[in-house]
Amino acid sequence: MRLNTMAFYLHRITGVILAIYLCVHLCFLTTVKTGQYSSLIKVTLSRQFLPFDLMLFLIGIYHGVNGVRLIIHEFGFLYRHRKVLLYLTFAIVLTLWIAVAWEVMR
Amino acid sequence: MRFKIRRFDGERSYWQEFDVPVKRGMTVLECLYYIKENLDSTLSFRASCRMGVCGSCAVRINGKPMLACETQAFKLKEPVKIEPLKNFNVIRDLVTDFEGFFKKHEIVKPYLIRKSEGEIRQTPEQLKRYYIYTLCVKCGACVSACPVAKNSLGPMPIVSAYRFNEDSRDEGKEERLKILSDHIWHCHFVAECSEVCPKNLNPAEVIQRLRLEVLKFNVRW
Repeated sequence: MRLNTMAFYLHRITGVILAIYLCVHLCFLTTVKTGQYSSLIKVTLSRQFLPFDLMLFLIGIYHGVNGVRLIIHEFGFLYRHRKVLLYLTFAIVLTLWIAVAWEVMR
Repeated sequence: MRFKIRRFDGERSYWQEFDVPVKRGMTVLECLYYIKENLDSTLSFRASCRMGVCGSCAVRINGKPMLACETQAFKLKEPVKIEPLKNFNVIRDLVTDFEGFFKKHEIVKPYLIRKSEGEIRQTPEQLKRYYIYTLCVKCGACVSACPVAKNSLGPMPIVSAYRFNEDSRDEGKEERLKILSDHIWHCHFVAECSEVCPKNLNPAEVIQRLRLEVLKFNVRW
């Protein structure tokens, strides 16, 4: 699979995951009313849950940064530098993710 | 060199391998002809001009849509995998059905629309605005590479619409923009069409330019 296609499919997959996460997140918040919130929050804030959080950060950062790249192109800029912009997107995503992961793991 | 070709006999699809004595300078199309003439006469593929003008011989070579006549066999990684174009129905072996492709092309009215009559003059500068887009050979490589082409117009008809819209002799720009209003938003800017176009036409750029024009056309009052 070529890089452009890979970026497209990753954008779609991360979008779907974020949509699912949003639904789960809203369901999670409704437990405030039912009184199970404090027991559930203990699970999600545990050390074992950290890899999921890191994955979520990566997915969110990728979807956001790649979305900005697409907006730039769709507003009519930098078509001819699309390859450079694509590599830059991956570099920014990785840098941001490492920075965020570092901050969370500290 | 070893060639792995995706065969289709109308019922089943399978891979078949051939060894071709490749000489420096041989194109993939010449290799296909070698196979047909010496190894398996039942191999079907489409070709005509052998010099990148007719666009008939577009196939997927090692996963990338390319013109077989313009691809040097020696530059490819072995085994050379040859498959029919994606997003097209396969008729037999490497021959695909282009009927839907040309039907989609017709939608954008790919011809000069004139309301007035008389002599049409065009300056070299006006010609320069659209000339490069007249080089499209309708090979289908862009449609094959596009992940959303099956359910949309695809890049080629949009490039064609742009070519006529930019032509100073044409008077059907509004008509085409109206038609494109329903189709142009399907593009997700994957830009694979620009990567694979054998004529370097950059359809992804054309689509974005046309989007802005369609937007301006639709929000005018």
